[in-house]
Amino acid sequence: MCIRKTILVLLCVLLSTSAWSRVLLRWTYSQVPPAKTLGVNDLVFPWDSGATSLLESARKQGYYVYLEATPEQAFAAAEAGKNSAAGVLLKVSPSEQADVDTVLRNLRSLYPKLTFLILNPAGKQPQMRGTLVLSRNGILEVSSPTAQPWLDINLALTRIAKARRPDQDPLYSFQWELIDSLQKLQGPNVEDYLLAVAEAGAFHADLVLSLHENSQKALAQSDPDGINLWKQMQRYLEFYSRRIPPVEPAANIGVLAGDYKKSYEPINLLARHNLPFRILRPSDLTADRLKEFAMLIVFASAMQNVKSITDFAARGGTAILVDSPGSYAWQSARRVQTGERWVAYGVGRGRVIELSEPVADPETFAQDIRRLMDKQKVLISLWNALTTVAVPYREAHGGVTLLELVNYAEEPLRVQVRIKGAFHSIRYETPERGCCESLMPIARNGFTEFVIPDFRIGGRVHLKEGRFGERHAPTNAK
Amino acid sequence: MLCFVLVSFILVSATDSEPATSFVHKKKYVMGTVFEIVAYEESLARASDAIDKAFQEIVRLDEVMSNYNSASALSRLNRSAHFHAEVVPLDLYRVIEESLVYSRLSDGKFDISVGPLVNLWKAAMREEHVPSSAEEEKLRRCVGYQNIALFPPDRIEFRSACLQIDLGAIGKGYAVDRAVEILRSYGIERALINAGGSTIYAMGSPPGQPAWLVHLRDPSKRIDPQVRLCDDSVSTSEQTPSLQGSNSAGHIVDPETATPSRTEFVVSAIAKTATASDALSTTLLLIGPDKGKVLVKTIADAAAIWVSPGGQSETASSGPQILLGHGL
Repeated sequence: MCIRKTILVLLCVLLSTSAWSRVLLRWTYSQVPPAKTLGVNDLVFPWDSGATSLLESARKQGYYVYLEATPEQAFAAAEAGKNSAAGVLLKVSPSEQADVDTVLRNLRSLYPKLTFLILNPAGKQPQMRGTLVLSRNGILEVSSPTAQPWLDINLALTRIAKARRPDQDPLYSFQWELIDSLQKLQGPNVEDYLLAVAEAGAFHADLVLSLHENSQKALAQSDPDGINLWKQMQRYLEFYSRRIPPVEPAANIGVLAGDYKKSYEPINLLARHNLPFRILRPSDLTADRLKEFAMLIVFASAMQNVKSITDFAARGGTAILVDSPGSYAWQSARRVQTGERWVAYGVGRGRVIELSEPVADPETFAQDIRRLMDKQKVLISLWNALTTVAVPYREAHGGVTLLELVNYAEEPLRVQVRIKGAFHSIRYETPERGCCESLMPIARNGFTEFVIPDFRIGGRVHLKEGRFGERHAPTNAK
Repeated sequence: MLCFVLVSFILVSATDSEPATSFVHKKKYVMGTVFEIVAYEESLARASDAIDKAFQEIVRLDEVMSNYNSASALSRLNRSAHFHAEVVPLDLYRVIEESLVYSRLSDGKFDISVGPLVNLWKAAMREEHVPSSAEEEKLRRCVGYQNIALFPPDRIEFRSACLQIDLGAIGKGYAVDRAVEILRSYGIERALINAGGSTIYAMGSPPGQPAWLVHLRDPSKRIDPQVRLCDDSVSTSEQTPSLQGSNSAGHIVDPETATPSRTEFVVSAIAKTATASDALSTTLLLIGPDKGKVLVKTIADAAAIWVSPGGQSETASSGPQILLGHGL
């Protein structure tokens, strides 16, 4: 018992100092268990007049409590929580984010001791979706017109959030889609919770996670079933909150996002198809910044960026303009290809492709982006991995050093990976098995290939560049 | 072949006058797609157990019929049955036997020995390799269902040195039918089994409804074809789309021309078993509406619809009715 307590205390210490991905639990039950039982320090109470009654007792149990409120409610919530709460989370949908800055400034000025964060409530339950869903009026219906398993993922959402608000780690939440009678009764499977934690962790984002009311009750009352579920969760929470060396997303596709509604789904499908991208702001379209990209996709108006786009193509890049009609200098160049809704122009060593309409079929768009990419420049490819999303990271201005993987099928797969570059050391760790298993790299035409034999939900691959045959002392990734 | 699926459907639950029976809905990634089963049943535990067992059966069949798994019975057959009769599992024998029925019905347009050509064009689709006409011709000579010899009850021989079988156009349907058997053995009477949307089997009907209403794939978004299923199946096939409008690649290959089918049609086929609807949809895609309508009328309790992106549609039926939603 003492050992268990010690472990839990250590766990709490680890969690409190972690920075990479933070899971905040949304709590709605009338009692809270001690923080040491959960091993999580951050709770979120949806704001209403009753939230304050639990606030003080939760604080005394060792929690940092955040009040979740709309911008309209935020001042009342901050006033009520100014002595006991750690902060206020402002629920703001992506399309409303531009309007909230003034509110945020005022709140920070009025309540300097509180932390104010923007919470995007428009996340999706991470899942491998079938084609059956339950609509509101009790009708089961289809969702997914795709040849591949449809994955609901939150990578595009977190990347767009980071580009818009670089000073805050992306913070999002989602609603569980509990379709059948068993799930409504019992709540999500433990694997679904693990997937949610793994996804946020892999995307280096923060998550407000809702626990099913029955699970909250079970934990609050120290019910063995609840404790058992939570033990599995703790492994994942610990794994993804562990501090790792600073990295940034690695990508060779730059995306100028433009209008959220028009560009979100195509960007989402790039993520879904494991096409690593970075969201750029107009100020990022400099020659120096664009050097790292092989492809530039422009959903915003191209008119203001004609020179940057032309220069990018002239240096050998492929620029794709989506629904940006106009007269451009490159249109006097030779047409290299023409389709029903697109035209490609040769520009210097590269090309500019103009799509005449918004993307109507994001799935096909993403597939075509992969086809258009010069094979030697494809950063990452996966096989036997239609349910897997892989996100490469690199040290600042360096090569890829880390690969985060999420398997939405929640069942073991044997995944084959090919990544651009020469890596002599490939080490794989998971929440279940810890760190680290060495995987055998195979060098092939400028790429390194390896196989992850038994990939279940979340995993992390550490890569070390170097020629094959070089010997390096073992390192500890923790 | 992967049946590219864009089927949509609605499963109507109980009406207000009759309380909805509880249902269990589970999904599993197997055979390269998401299988889903929804079962209405008073006992949630029994429904859950039955679905788990049905999924186990599908996983077992994947291990028999997969051509990605080198240890599968099909892979072994593809390695060693050339001019030598191999003993195979009964399931493999049955599904190949039924495939040959459709090969004969379609004069060879449906052919499970088209595998080498499919692989060639899949690679082309990924732009890994552009096939030369010499390669096409070489592989075309490997194709021919007539070179598959069956020796009941469980032996198969290839009478060609390079013949390879690919069950992508029929295997999922067969797995769905076996899952139906498992569910029935547990006393489940109202269920829907969905193999990634490409093949759907409806057991009985939802509570309070005469049938499961299934909305079929409509690339034109103008027609909204629908069918009411009760103890029968629907499958959908279409060629891989591309924004670039390329006709030079695709996953459904015409064995006669050794090239990907260039049809724009999406075909949905209804039949009494999932094995039959799966094979029939690919067959009908390849032979087109003119010959296809004649074929459908020779098969009991079958129906089909061809829909083009431009909204052109053709239907045929020997029983089941296909309704055009926008005309209702």
